[in-house]
Amino acid sequence: MDRNYHVFSNGRLERHEDTLRLATEDGEKKHIPIENAEAVYLHGQIDFNTRLLSFLNDNGIAAHVFGWNDYYSGSVMPERGQTSGRTVVSQVRAYDDPAHRRDLAAAFVRGSIHNMRANVAYYDGRSADLDATLERLDTVADSVAEADDVEELMGVEATARKAYYGTFDSVLRDEFELGTREYNPPPNEVNSLLSFGNALVYANCVSAIRATALDPAVSYLHEPGERRYSLSLDLADLFKPLLTDRVLFRLVNRRQITTDDFETELGECLLTERGRQTFSKEFEETLERTVEHPELNRKVSYQYLLRLEAYKLKKHLLAGEAYEPFRRWW
Amino acid sequence: MYVVLVYDMEADRTQRMLRLCRRYLTHVQNSVLEGEISEGDLATLRGEIEDTLIAGESVIVYELSSDTLLDRTVYGDDPTEDSRFL
Repeated sequence: MDRNYHVFSNGRLERHEDTLRLATEDGEKKHIPIENAEAVYLHGQIDFNTRLLSFLNDNGIAAHVFGWNDYYSGSVMPERGQTSGRTVVSQVRAYDDPAHRRDLAAAFVRGSIHNMRANVAYYDGRSADLDATLERLDTVADSVAEADDVEELMGVEATARKAYYGTFDSVLRDEFELGTREYNPPPNEVNSLLSFGNALVYANCVSAIRATALDPAVSYLHEPGERRYSLSLDLADLFKPLLTDRVLFRLVNRRQITTDDFETELGECLLTERGRQTFSKEFEETLERTVEHPELNRKVSYQYLLRLEAYKLKKHLLAGEAYEPFRRWW
Repeated sequence: MYVVLVYDMEADRTQRMLRLCRRYLTHVQNSVLEGEISEGDLATLRGEIEDTLIAGESVIVYELSSDTLLDRTVYGDDPTEDSRFL
C-alpha cells in the first residue's frame, strides 16, 4: 500500500536519480522511495522546482502543503489521470436535484453519527458512564429521516457532534479538556489536536477523491463554496471519529502527548513540531491498520476505506447503486 | 510484503543498482536495502533488476510475507527509523 510521507524539516525537496530526495538545511540528505509514495505532506519550509512538480505529476503523487501554524493551505495535485465528463455531469445533477441531494446529505449524516456513536460506545463503561450520550445520539440519528432539507441535516449533524464532543472531557485524562469546539485559533490543547487531525483527514480525503473522476468541489452536505474542496469535507466527517478522535484519545491517555507538546500564547494553543510529529506518526500507523472487509472478503487498510468511499459515491452517481455511507462495523 | 535486498555489483556500477532500488526501498547499508513493497511493485522491480545486471553480478531478494514475521534487531542507528517523517 502506498504511504504518506511527512516532511517537518526545512530544506529542499528534489528529484534525484529518479526518486525523491530531501536535502535539509542541516545538510542531511534523505531519500523517499517514489514508487511507494501516495502523497507528501509538507509541514516545514520547503523549496522545490518545476522539475520536481512534473516528477510528482508523472508518478501521480500529491503534495499537501501546511502553512502558518500548520493550517492546511492547499495541495498540488497531479494532473487528472481520471477524466470523465459523465461523472461530473451526474455529480452536478445529483446536487441540483433537491431530493437526491438531501438523500446523499442524509447518508453522510447517518454515517457520521454512527461512527461517533461507535467511539462513545467503546469508551462507555471504560472510563465513564456515557449512556446518556448514547441515547441522545440515537434520538438524533432518528431525526435524520425526518429532516426535509440539507440545512436541517446540517443542524442535526451539529447537534450530534455537540453531544459527542461533550463526552471528550470524561474520556480524556484530567489535564486535557476540550470545553467547546473552537478554532481559528484553537484555544486549548484538545481543540488544537482536533484541528490538526481533522486537517490530515481532510487532505487524505482530497487524495482519495482525486483517485476517482469526481470533482472535489461539488458536494452534498456542505454547500459547495469557493476555494474549498467541499466534497472532501463531506467525506472527512465520516472518518474523523475513526481517525482524528481515536488517535487523539490514544495519545493523550497513554501520555504520549503531554501539555509540553504545546505552545500557548495570547489565547491560542498550538502543537509544537515534536507534538505534530508524534501525532502524524500515530495517525499514519492508524491509516495502515487493516480490517477484514465483509463485502470485498479481504483485508483493507483504513486508508483504503477513504478510497472506497469515493468509489462508492461515484458508483452511486453513475450506476444508480444505493450509496451506503461508511459505518464502522468492527 | 517485506523484503531485504542485497546486491553485489562491479565497483563502477553499484550506483545503478542503488538508484534503481531506492525508488522502492530504503537504503540501510552499503549494498543493502529493505522495506515494505507490494507484490506488483516487487514484480516490476525484479524485471528491472534483471535488465540491469551483467555477467558476474548478483542481487539477492529475501522475502517475508509480512513484516510481523520479521524479527529485526538493530545495533547502533537504525536507518529506517521514521523514514516517513523527515
